[in-house]
Amino acid sequence: MSIDVFWRIPTHGEPGSHRARDPFRGDWFPGNDNKTLSGLGGGGDDGFTYIDYLAEIARAAEISGFQGGLIPSFPNTDEPWVISAFLARETKNFRFMIPFQPGFLNPVVAARMTASLQRATGGRALYNIITGGGGPSQLWWGDPVKHDDRYGRTTEFLDVLKGIWAGGPFSYNGQFYQVEDAGLPDPLSKEEYPEIYFSGSSDAALASASKHADYYLSWLEPFDLIKDKFARVKERTDHLGRKIKCSIRVDIVARPTEEEAWREVSRGFENIPKEILDRYKAQNAGDSVGASRQRGLRPQTINSYKDFILSPNIWTGFSLLRGGQTLGIVGSYENVAARLDELVQLGTDAFILASTPHLEEAYRVGEEVLPLVRGKSGASNLRAVA
Amino acid sequence: MANQFYWQLPTSGDARYGNATRQRRGEASDPNYPVFGNGVTDPRRNAFSYFDYIHQVTKAADLSGFNGIFIPDNPDGEEPWIVAGYVARSTQRLKLLTQFDASRGSAVYAAKNAVSFQRYTGGRFAWHITEGSQDERIRKQLGDFVPKQDILARIDEFITVAKGVLTTFPFNFVGRFFEVQDGGFQGPLSDRQVPSIYLGGNSTAQLELSAKHADVHVLDAVEHDAIAQQIAAYRQIAQGRAVDFALRIDVLARETREEALEDAKRFLNQTEAAIPADDSPLLWPGFSEQHTGAKASLIGSYDEVAAALAAYAHLGVTQFVLAAVPHFEEAYRVGTHVLPLVRQLTNPAQKQAA
Ligand SMILES: Cc1cc2nc3c(=O)[nH]c(=O)nc-3n(C[C@H](O)[C@H](O)[C@H](O)COP(=O)(O)O)c2cc1C
Repeated sequence: MSIDVFWRIPTHGEPGSHRARDPFRGDWFPGNDNKTLSGLGGGGDDGFTYIDYLAEIARAAEISGFQGGLIPSFPNTDEPWVISAFLARETKNFRFMIPFQPGFLNPVVAARMTASLQRATGGRALYNIITGGGGPSQLWWGDPVKHDDRYGRTTEFLDVLKGIWAGGPFSYNGQFYQVEDAGLPDPLSKEEYPEIYFSGSSDAALASASKHADYYLSWLEPFDLIKDKFARVKERTDHLGRKIKCSIRVDIVARPTEEEAWREVSRGFENIPKEILDRYKAQNAGDSVGASRQRGLRPQTINSYKDFILSPNIWTGFSLLRGGQTLGIVGSYENVAARLDELVQLGTDAFILASTPHLEEAYRVGEEVLPLVRGKSGASNLRAVA
Repeated sequence: MANQFYWQLPTSGDARYGNATRQRRGEASDPNYPVFGNGVTDPRRNAFSYFDYIHQVTKAADLSGFNGIFIPDNPDGEEPWIVAGYVARSTQRLKLLTQFDASRGSAVYAAKNAVSFQRYTGGRFAWHITEGSQDERIRKQLGDFVPKQDILARIDEFITVAKGVLTTFPFNFVGRFFEVQDGGFQGPLSDRQVPSIYLGGNSTAQLELSAKHADVHVLDAVEHDAIAQQIAAYRQIAQGRAVDFALRIDVLARETREEALEDAKRFLNQTEAAIPADDSPLLWPGFSEQHTGAKASLIGSYDEVAAALAAYAHLGVTQFVLAAVPHFEEAYRVGTHVLPLVRQLTNPAQKQAA
């Protein structure tokens, strides 16, 4: 089986490059706490809004060979259900990977939303099931439920969703969800069940994932840790008599030469404001096991971008450039493809890649990196160029 | 402001016939029972879905002069928020009045999704929040175990929280159904418009809820004098808090009254419903309720239907939520032949200027 590769939709704004912090495309830029005009051409009201730019990225991703894209959902981003519905007609192949916390939706409503989205897109909806990072942000979302209980709720939610989908009447009496004789109405019930990616690093997360997920999804971690983590998830799932695949979400900077790639990162690092570096050193919030695994990788001293180099082509400063996860891959097209292939050998079945700016980089990565990835066969699929 | 006209989208199937199982637009045909029989090749395969049809109805409403579309929540049909998003980018000015009930999940999450809708449409998203089914058994099928007497209280909290996080930071609230701490949207997501809120019902509790939260109070189709009474009842309870009134009513309008009656009777025949002995009234209760959810339909010539709508407008109704089967052709018909007459009758100044 070949490897599935997704792209990401930047729901949290888009600077023009990894080195730049602005100008931003759309209405996000650092420190902007006010409503601004949403125009794309320099912030004035030009009649466009951010969805017009996201539409461009989705098209670029599908044209250049990605399966679709992950559409992250955080307190300061736009929402993936909305983006997916808005872009359904404008895309042909693009698969919408929707992260959401099951606790926020009635599962019967979620089933109908999903079936309708499948009908609207010809079956292009899939999930990234997330369970929330805890801390103040969990209450910001209006959710007072504690970490391990949240995973219990996630499991219940997927029990109900699956039960409804399998054909009613379905009844369930859980701690968080109850339904009696539920089902999907006739034409909606014919749709494919969405493929489920699942994120979360704790034991509670793995328990829930092994029961319900098609793909366990992790941020990039040091290669030996990733190998162990995937082996653990797969073993656990095998015990339940199911199969699970593993996938990685990772940022990359790919250039014709490795030197150019590091130059991009180094410029970006020089532009990081001091407050952001200070905040980074002090960061500690929430109950996310995954996030604290990533924080554990912070360098002792921080003088240059080089302090963040963990191993060949692996840089741990990505969260400083644009927020999000810490580890990413930096190098020539060949370097990046080789690291991806190593991860495949360690048990990875799918990738979600991202690079800034997502529009131009979708073309670059699709044209320059993906053709070099050998995947599971280990052999190059490219025909020799005469 | 001039009157607003919404056209309803058929979220749970549509057909030319009263009996929708006879022909269902946009659904992939069953390969074992080809619609064209063996006579004609069917080139469609799976190229189209019901959403392509919904999209056409939306464009029909847009092109024929409606101000918005109403997306009803029928548990047997498409999910309205997905429909609203799906059609949003093909419209420039239509309001997207989306129906749902407060059992859908977190109020913060609903508000956050609304922010993206508002950002992307320039504030054209609107909410029609209902109580869901009156039948407890159906509510349990839909995962809602909140007892009937608490439904209005939950809507109240839902709106309080949604408005709170949409307009205030930090927003705190602890209620019986929802809780939020230091909530509210910042940066590009901040200070966006709260979706216009539509509520309905004629009980004192429902009228009080509208008086507290609604921008628009939705009335079901009944005779003119009953509408006048309902508006008066609201005004008595609201003590000065003004709302707009919307009337949800179906229309079957034809060039002549005879044609309208003929088509109305044919439609009832197809649904196997009884044909009224006296066909002289303009308003037929229950006429297409099975299909559209509206409580009654006006049946008559373009002039008669327009005059009846204008008469509701004179009683204080400023918004109309209209529907007719099949929704696509009828959008053009009503938009072309009826709306201009109502607009003239209710806004003579416009006529002079034209
Ligand atoms: C690849 C990946 C993507 C994620 N995307 C989101 C997201 O879009 N929104 C969100 O709130 N959390 C997201 N998360 C967070 C996790 O789902 C989860 O809430 C967090 O890791 C806490 O769980 P844990 O303690 O089990 O690690 C993501 C996590 C991973 C690994």
